[in-house]
Amino acid sequence: MATVVTLPLKLTTPPGGYSKPSVSKPSAPSSLPLYPAGPSFISAARREILQRTFEQDDAEITASREAAKAAQQDASDGNPFPGLGEEEEDSHVLAQDPKEWKKQDHYAVLGLGHLRYKASEDHIRVAHRRKVLRHHPDKKAAAKGANDDSFFKCIQKAHETLTHSERRKQFDSVDWNIEDEIPDFKDLASNPDEFCKIATQVFAREGRFSKVQPVPEFGDANSSKKEVEGFYDFFYNFDSWRSFEWHDKEVNEGSDSRDDKRFTEKKNKSERTRRKKEDNTRLRTLVDTVLAVDPRIKRIKAEEKAARDAKKKGVANGGPAKPLTPAEKKKLEDEKKKAEEAKKAEEKKANEASKGEREAAKKAKEAARKNLKKWKKAVSTVIASSNYFLPAGTAPSASTIEKQLAELDLLVDILEPEDVKDLKEKVEKAGSGEPAKAAIKEKVASVQSKPEAEGKFSEFA
Amino acid sequence: MVSTACMWTNQTDNDLLPSRPNLSAPAILGINFGQSYASIAVIDKEGHPTCIANEEGERQIACAISYAGEQVYIGNGAIPHLVKNGKNTIMGFRNLLGHTYDEVDHTAILTAPLLSTSTTPAYTVDILIPPPKQATPASRSAAASGTATPAPQEPIPSTKTLTVPEVTSLFLSTLLQSATDFLGVKPKACVVSAPTWFTPAQTDALRKSAEDAGISVLQVLDEAAAVLVGYREGNAGEEENRDKRVVVLDMGETSLGVSVIQASEGEYTVLAKGRDDKLGGREFDNLLLKHFAKEFTKKTKVALDLPCGESASVIDKRAEAKLRIAVEHTKRSLSASSGAATCAVESLKEGMDLSSAINRLRFDGLASSVYRQVGAKLTSVVQSAGLDLVQIDEILLAGASTLFPGLQQHLSLLVAPTTPVTAAIDPSQVIAVGCALQALHLSTLQDGLKAEDVLATAKTTVDTTSAPIGIVIPGQEGDNLAAVVVDSGAPLPVRRRVAIPVSSASKVVLELWEGKHEVKVEKVERAPIEKDEEDEDDEDDEEEEDEEIKTPITVKTKALGAVEVSVSKEGNLLLEVIVQRGGGLQVRAWEEGKEESADKFEV
Repeated sequence: MATVVTLPLKLTTPPGGYSKPSVSKPSAPSSLPLYPAGPSFISAARREILQRTFEQDDAEITASREAAKAAQQDASDGNPFPGLGEEEEDSHVLAQDPKEWKKQDHYAVLGLGHLRYKASEDHIRVAHRRKVLRHHPDKKAAAKGANDDSFFKCIQKAHETLTHSERRKQFDSVDWNIEDEIPDFKDLASNPDEFCKIATQVFAREGRFSKVQPVPEFGDANSSKKEVEGFYDFFYNFDSWRSFEWHDKEVNEGSDSRDDKRFTEKKNKSERTRRKKEDNTRLRTLVDTVLAVDPRIKRIKAEEKAARDAKKKGVANGGPAKPLTPAEKKKLEDEKKKAEEAKKAEEKKANEASKGEREAAKKAKEAARKNLKKWKKAVSTVIASSNYFLPAGTAPSASTIEKQLAELDLLVDILEPEDVKDLKEKVEKAGSGEPAKAAIKEKVASVQSKPEAEGKFSEFA
Repeated sequence: MVSTACMWTNQTDNDLLPSRPNLSAPAILGINFGQSYASIAVIDKEGHPTCIANEEGERQIACAISYAGEQVYIGNGAIPHLVKNGKNTIMGFRNLLGHTYDEVDHTAILTAPLLSTSTTPAYTVDILIPPPKQATPASRSAAASGTATPAPQEPIPSTKTLTVPEVTSLFLSTLLQSATDFLGVKPKACVVSAPTWFTPAQTDALRKSAEDAGISVLQVLDEAAAVLVGYREGNAGEEENRDKRVVVLDMGETSLGVSVIQASEGEYTVLAKGRDDKLGGREFDNLLLKHFAKEFTKKTKVALDLPCGESASVIDKRAEAKLRIAVEHTKRSLSASSGAATCAVESLKEGMDLSSAINRLRFDGLASSVYRQVGAKLTSVVQSAGLDLVQIDEILLAGASTLFPGLQQHLSLLVAPTTPVTAAIDPSQVIAVGCALQALHLSTLQDGLKAEDVLATAKTTVDTTSAPIGIVIPGQEGDNLAAVVVDSGAPLPVRRRVAIPVSSASKVVLELWEGKHEVKVEKVERAPIEKDEEDEDDEDDEEEEDEEIKTPITVKTKALGAVEVSVSKEGNLLLEVIVQRGGGLQVRAWEEGKEESADKFEV
């Protein structure tokens, strides 16, 4: 770069009658050895290699310096605490009583009222240091001779609370300075854009309590089905860290009574649970309300239906679905309705006709099934009374009894209910002994041809 | 078999060195490779060049290698071996680089002798080769009971022949190792210094040796150039005079180098250079030796005449060796602190101890003859450039021997009172620092330039302006130029811009003239009428009561043209003068902010 040296000269207007000297060439250059060293040599070499004149080189250097400066600017824009500006110290904040720390707005005390739960640990650290430097009691004593360290205590309490992650969560949970008004979404539903805007704000606020981060955004009026479903899934399975220890009643320090303490603790615990439950219900209701009136759900449903119809029509026409005019749509729907109605009527009629017969048959079958047991019992009683068709006096062996009864069971199974009735009547008519056996044998012979009876009968064969 | 002198200190000192590689700083190394001492500099974390100490904690590393039996001592550890093991100690090898045996003066070498058989200068040293590893018997039981126990094997005496380039490589590799230990990584770019008077063949030999040592050499840089870069001459800022004539005075252990340089906005052209290879820090050592030997004799009545010659007794030689090491320390304390420097040697001769001190005043008295010799050399070199000492704008000091305040004072009396004698950067480190800076400059080139390409543009000689070009205001009195814009000796093409304040709206004319540097001699009033012309005898100043005041002036010789600008309001008038490569001249002048309406002429 061309450096400009200011010469301590005094210029005067030329004397009268002055004429410029004629232009002449300077003496021929001489030759001297040069050390190839230093930045100036490199600059000269650069101009020679790149064939630049002094002006071009100046322009290049200026450009590169500008670029470097811009780069530096960019780097410094990555300010570690963007927006950590000064905040006005309200008189009511300064006049706070350190004993009332539960009512104290810790963020406002540190000058982080605009950041609140968004404040990072670095923010808190820097803000605390700034406040301490300003409000240290030593400084105040030196300046005013005042011995008032109440606000300093507030600062220390705020710092203590906000740097302890658990305590900070408790405070954030109940931070009364965050507006939690929920607007009436039903009124907003007619304007999808406005609806989404407000819902985004509301759910971003609610999302801060989520254990799972990041929280999906509500999205805008044109969000896809997947996004919308994902959002509602997330909020229906919302896992909140919000807790209500902050509202706990202090255990009375003065009393030594363990019972007192326990009682208060118990009350606190139940109160916490109640509030937590309330909060969960509140969120659930909110999500329900929003889901019910979400204009996007309606939109998505309509879109899906249109897509389905279009597909259907596309298949019927053997071609791609064409968008339907409302009139056509209506006509189509009417036709479909009519066809459906006609079909239904027909079915109804047919049903009514056969119903009587079928019911009668059903009843008879039921009755027969009920009687089967009775009839079978009657037959088996006859068999038992005739001493299982054995000569009188001889005791029937267990196997014989079993065999005969099993065969009887089988016979009853095979026979139609009417035949069983017939068998019972015949057996009862025959009384006991051989005639009854003959009656059974006759029936067995009639079913012998059936495949399930084959070779199964030995006693009554 | 190579083990450095610092073998046993490695373990502890490495803990002190940064073990973590520093990735932010570029791994850059500057080596000042002197005849007697070397030093190394790197670019530190903050980006500043710093001279670093080696493992022994020495910034000035002696260029010496000593072979003692199985051990090899490199650096300061080799110096004590010079006395008892002189013929196996190699010193002063740098200046032999690139020479053949016949070219070098091989009679004056007191250390390891040069071999006459080899064309490349080479040394032969006695060494001991460790015994070969004894083959262990296959099994204990197999040894015949009758055989004798094998005697412990002795190291085998042998000789080793080393050429000068080999010695140089060996030495430079230890410097590289020190820098690598400090940086944590191997330096990627390195500049090595070479004396001003090195021939291209010698420079090439030095580069080759350095590359053999594993150093990636960007440039072998002239020592005087390294000093200029080290002091950042011409780049200090806009306030400073851009065109300066500076003298680089480099006084090392063995020789004195004087260079007269025209620094034109940071480009260095050589006006003259000279060398005295007998004048160095060793002279001061000898003076101190003599002084303390006298003191010793006075106190103990034991005769001791130092420095002793070749024929002196062994006792005297030992005494000299002892005293020389002690005196080295005394010399350093003299230049470092203002108080008295002590010198104590136990059992210097015949069991008598020496304990004495010398203060600066006494030393300056002793060394005044050396100071005068240095002054005379400076004067003669400046004169050989066709200049007078008053025309020198600055003296830059380099080399550990220039650290003496007495010498600096003596030099400042020689030149004009306004001329600074600069030792702002420790003169013993400035060459290494300059080398590191040059390596940094070469390794951070912009616009995609490569260091080789940049260095390839360097020619041995360049065209420069032959006469200063300056401003003459019409109507001014006298024959002098009102101000010099482009000085003589500036490499072409050259551009200069100056601003001249204008107090009110007016029409102004500036004439451009070529000039000539001259010295105006004025006599003070008290001086007797004595019309001698240029009194060059500096030493006469004290004897003669009259003083003459010399002032450098620039006399106008040839008008080159004029520019005319009408200035509309109070402000600056800007003047740009460009001398093109072929000697063509471009002049423009304009009112600040109105560059488009400039008055210009071209030749």
